[in-house]
Amino acid sequence: MDLTKYEKIFSQESDKYLKELDDLLLHVEKDLSNSSLWTEIHGKIHSIKGMARALSFDKISDLCHLIEDWCLKFQQGTSTCSSASVQLIFDGSDILHSLVSKSGRIESLEEHKLYNSIISGFQKSPAEVTNNNQNQPTPLLTASQPRLTSIDHVKIRYSHIEELLGLTQEIQLLAKRFPLFSQDKLSAGLKSWVDHYNTLMKTLYFQLTQLRLMSFGDFADLFQKSIRNIAKEHNKNIYVEILGSEIQADITILERLREPMIHIFRNCIAHGIESPEERLSKHKPTEGRITIEAKSEKENLYLKIRDDGRGINKSLIIKHLKERQSLTDNDINNMNEEEIFNTILSPDFSSARETTDLSGRGIGMSVVAQTIDYMGGSLSISSELGRQTEFTIKLPISLSVIYAIIFTIGKHTLAVPTLNVKSIGRFYDNSEDKTVSYYNLRKYLGIADPEIKSSNFLSLKYAKPTGSSISEGNNLKLLADNIIGNRPLMVLPAGELLSKIKLFSGIGIMENGDISILLDVDNLP
Amino acid sequence: MKFFVFKVRDEFLGIESQYIHRIIDDSKATPVCLTPDCYEGLLYYRGELFDVINLAPFFGYPKKEDVENPRIIILKWANKKMAIIPDDIIGMIWMEDDSEDRTVFHYESHVLRLLNPDDIWKKLMGLFYGPNKI
Repeated sequence: MDLTKYEKIFSQESDKYLKELDDLLLHVEKDLSNSSLWTEIHGKIHSIKGMARALSFDKISDLCHLIEDWCLKFQQGTSTCSSASVQLIFDGSDILHSLVSKSGRIESLEEHKLYNSIISGFQKSPAEVTNNNQNQPTPLLTASQPRLTSIDHVKIRYSHIEELLGLTQEIQLLAKRFPLFSQDKLSAGLKSWVDHYNTLMKTLYFQLTQLRLMSFGDFADLFQKSIRNIAKEHNKNIYVEILGSEIQADITILERLREPMIHIFRNCIAHGIESPEERLSKHKPTEGRITIEAKSEKENLYLKIRDDGRGINKSLIIKHLKERQSLTDNDINNMNEEEIFNTILSPDFSSARETTDLSGRGIGMSVVAQTIDYMGGSLSISSELGRQTEFTIKLPISLSVIYAIIFTIGKHTLAVPTLNVKSIGRFYDNSEDKTVSYYNLRKYLGIADPEIKSSNFLSLKYAKPTGSSISEGNNLKLLADNIIGNRPLMVLPAGELLSKIKLFSGIGIMENGDISILLDVDNLP
Repeated sequence: MKFFVFKVRDEFLGIESQYIHRIIDDSKATPVCLTPDCYEGLLYYRGELFDVINLAPFFGYPKKEDVENPRIIILKWANKKMAIIPDDIIGMIWMEDDSEDRTVFHYESHVLRLLNPDDIWKKLMGLFYGPNKI
């Protein structure tokens, strides 16, 4: 397996945690016995440890493990923290910075000595480490050469971006109203100036819309603390793994997913993941694992939340279906596994107060499913008894920018992702070749003169859809009136009304703000 | 109670002012295929997409073709949004409301019917979206 990708993610994430750790240490230095600060510090170290373990960066995970021990003592107040202890953690953080940047490797003898002396520092009890300690390590970097990190990010309020977007659009509209801009009698010089101005404005607007995208990694991080707190409430140890950090999605959509996701986490922690003792007896690691994963496939964004807990007992759901919904064995045999598990999402199941292992599994899950449904997405559950439970949120599109071939049929502007297009060609009605069938959407779309043949075609790659009238083979040629070109599109979800139309997979906004309808090639009628 | 009042043919209709997000007259909706007659199209305004509904066909009147720069009322309520096009816009009026669930008021010498965006939405959701069945 190629780990480079994961190593890169590890390094990015750890750098972030270490920066936050340094900030927290600065605070705790002034308030040595603040146990909630220690809890936060513990959290950062714990996250780095978990990721380092997964990649077998033992030097990093071993050191983190020792620092964690200290944090726990300070959190619980079983040891008193001194400024020397904080200094040692600062030194630990410094060497972690260096280890993270070198994928967990120690390259020089000097560094090796330093690492060992820090490790031996943490192996003592905090009270044994004092400022006068002979073994106190020399800091990795002296104060005269502090670690300088370049400032390449600024924080900005989301509402500010909205404001900027609004203003840009206002300027575009203003330009449209300016009489000179819309007249044909412009001098050639002025006309080219106006064109240039318009192009720049449109590009500016498009660029601004990109600011609304947030990386999934940053989004998933928002849950780290909540998960930790919920886990504590239930006396469970949980390691959170984030996959697909680099995928970007629109912040407004992510914001609406926060509550449903917290609900799912609560479910995983309270009912999925077993207590450390139970896990031990089942030969599982005492630390439960929650994986949050983002994947972008075709026009869909998939968010998966997986726990390695006890799974869902299907027979209990079947019992519920028989007793409460009066389904027969035959009805149940006709249901596939997904349908059975998704019973949990029905309001009826949520209200069922059964005093079984399942109780609580469904509480509120119907509300979660409804919220996601409202966003035009869907929620499904799969589970393996004793092994894991997985919640999959499917949202209509990844909400990012894709390239698409834009074309027109009648008065409609349509688009097909460039990935789905093999080639584009001219269509001649008198074509000799009768073996190739052309696909005319005019009639289906209800466009006047359905028999008119368009003059271009798009040769599409498509997976054979079930129940489609399209003949076998993946050589589908879709007729189009005009081909506008290969353009970047910002894809937005089609909304509740338009998502009823299976053929549409999303709405594409072109750089000039024009709208095109993105077609789902696999759902052609 | 503050209402935003508009006309569809000879009917006076109103919507509670709290649902009115904006009124615009310089943008046009992009027509969308496979939608019901009252679905005027999509509007991309300030980074958001709105379904634009033409109220005349929505209430069963024939559609007026080629209205230049129709005024579009953008509505936002609960966590929903849409835009509507009436035939005419009257403006904001204030009504003394004596009962909470009133839906019909007297406005000058006319009858003013109060619309609830949720009801419009429900009816829209019940319409057929897809190819005409022949």
